[in-house]
Amino acid sequence: MSFELAACLVTMFGLAGIGTPIGYSIILASLVYLGFAGLDLALAGEKILQGLYKSFVLLAVPLFIAAANIMNAGTISERLLNFCVAAVGRFRGGLGHVNVVASLIFSGMSGSAVADAAGIGKIIIEMMTKDGRYSRGYAAAITAATATIGPIIPPSIPMVLYALVSNSSIGALFLAGIVPGLVMGVVLMGMNTYLSTKRGFALEEPVPLRKLPKYTLNAFPALMMPVILLYGIYGGVTTPTEAAAVAAFYAFLLAAVFYRALTVKSLYSIFVESARSSSAVGLVIGGALILNFVVVSENIPGMMSEALVGLNVHPLVFLLGVNVIILLLGCVLDATTIILVIVPLFIPTCRELGIDLVHFGVLVVVNSMIGLITPPYGILLFVINAVTGIPLREMISEIWAFLGVLIAALLLMILFPDIVLWLPRLFGYQG
Amino acid sequence: MTFLKTWFPRGAEFIAAAMLAAMFLTFLLQIFSRYVLQTPFGWTLELCLTLWVWIVFFGNAFIVKERDHVTFDIFYLAAPRKVRQALALISAAAIVIGMVWAFLPTWDYINWMKMRKSATLKIPLRTIFSIYALFMIAVAARYAWRFYTVWKSGPPDSDHEIPGHEPEPPAIRHGEDAT
Repeated sequence: MSFELAACLVTMFGLAGIGTPIGYSIILASLVYLGFAGLDLALAGEKILQGLYKSFVLLAVPLFIAAANIMNAGTISERLLNFCVAAVGRFRGGLGHVNVVASLIFSGMSGSAVADAAGIGKIIIEMMTKDGRYSRGYAAAITAATATIGPIIPPSIPMVLYALVSNSSIGALFLAGIVPGLVMGVVLMGMNTYLSTKRGFALEEPVPLRKLPKYTLNAFPALMMPVILLYGIYGGVTTPTEAAAVAAFYAFLLAAVFYRALTVKSLYSIFVESARSSSAVGLVIGGALILNFVVVSENIPGMMSEALVGLNVHPLVFLLGVNVIILLLGCVLDATTIILVIVPLFIPTCRELGIDLVHFGVLVVVNSMIGLITPPYGILLFVINAVTGIPLREMISEIWAFLGVLIAALLLMILFPDIVLWLPRLFGYQG
Repeated sequence: MTFLKTWFPRGAEFIAAAMLAAMFLTFLLQIFSRYVLQTPFGWTLELCLTLWVWIVFFGNAFIVKERDHVTFDIFYLAAPRKVRQALALISAAAIVIGMVWAFLPTWDYINWMKMRKSATLKIPLRTIFSIYALFMIAVAARYAWRFYTVWKSGPPDSDHEIPGHEPEPPAIRHGEDAT
């Protein structure tokens, strides 16, 4: 390892470790690297500016953020929820199932797990804890667990970020997420049924079947959103990035015109908050761009892949190892940092070992979403704590069972790549 | 002082929101021109990319608050108040030094980009990239101010809160709600 690289890493981990914003830590560390290597300091700004200015795919990030915020502000989430209660609320553990199904549908509209937990999650936790039918911890835990599906089923902001660092097709990645998302939904429903039966949770008053058409009709325009998005992307009408704009526009139409639940004032604050979020994420993306330059100049991924290929590591062992590392990192780091900073290190090795980059991408995204609910640093737990006031301790004591089945689902996806790759191959993905 | 405290942030928020709204509308126009008019406007994509660069750096310069940043603060929050003050001072000082140190070389690069023009709108790239220079100045100034306030009155406790709620630390930040 060169001296300048060591200085760079010490600066980065040192500053980030004491609470300096990650984006600034990376930029400062890369300046230290450039300074010691005798290179022009302007390279940092140049790589960041050129990288942001040339990445068309990144435009999807602010647009998906705005779309998710619009959907949460309108009454779209409530309507979807009423539909789900009518459809699956009658079974044992009913509201738990409603939670999973609502997340599955919502994930086809938004690309963010946090939006899911803060919007639809907040409402359903209120329904579940009313009259004490479910404990607060259980309601919060299952909501956090189901919210992880959000970015697995397209659209997905983390997958856009992965596509940026791996140069793989967003279209293929989006398609590849659909079946894994459904698998996650199924295992969560299984665990919910098991726990509800064991603990004898109360049954819901079933909504009469003849009322189902009314609820369906009410939620129908919202239910059309995933269909429109997928048709747009795979029917060749829009690029995945343009689909983000269409999603935001459709959400706006629904909330403002159709459901009349959006005022000018709330729309304005949605744009302000979305701009704030996009800027904060953009800074980390910028940091990742310059860090990537440092990592490539030092040929770190090349050295890693040489070492691992030299050791004759079986691809499956490599995948399991990487997933264990990401799972552990997920306990302390947020998903954006993992995908943008850690994952690029492994990509050349994947190529050498013949691991499909779309398969790897879905595993990485699923894994880092599981990281959103692993204590002590689980962003979804913090969001739910912030919007409902349920103590972290109660959530964490209930999260383990759901965490377990999600990790089991991840293991299935590692062992059987067809779960991930079957659908994109059906649509002509060569890989 | 009231100007700096209330009107400046509001104005900055308005500009950022307007840029995001403009980007959104330009995108819709692009889709419309391609599929309805069948003659795609070349300039829409370039405008969106320019706005994106501006939203990121204008936003970080003026509207992203300390608590909105993606941070790793397990150690920071676990530390006693005195230690936290020292850590916050080190962070702020490092950012100021870094931004000041890199400013002139970076400005040289941005200034040199006046030779290059953007592909369709023929705007000098210096104009587009100049927001990065503004960002560096603003960030240096903000963290110099933060250094001063943390030095005088200790680390603010509001860095990890969401307005209107009383979450347990560590709470969610804006940069993290993208995923």
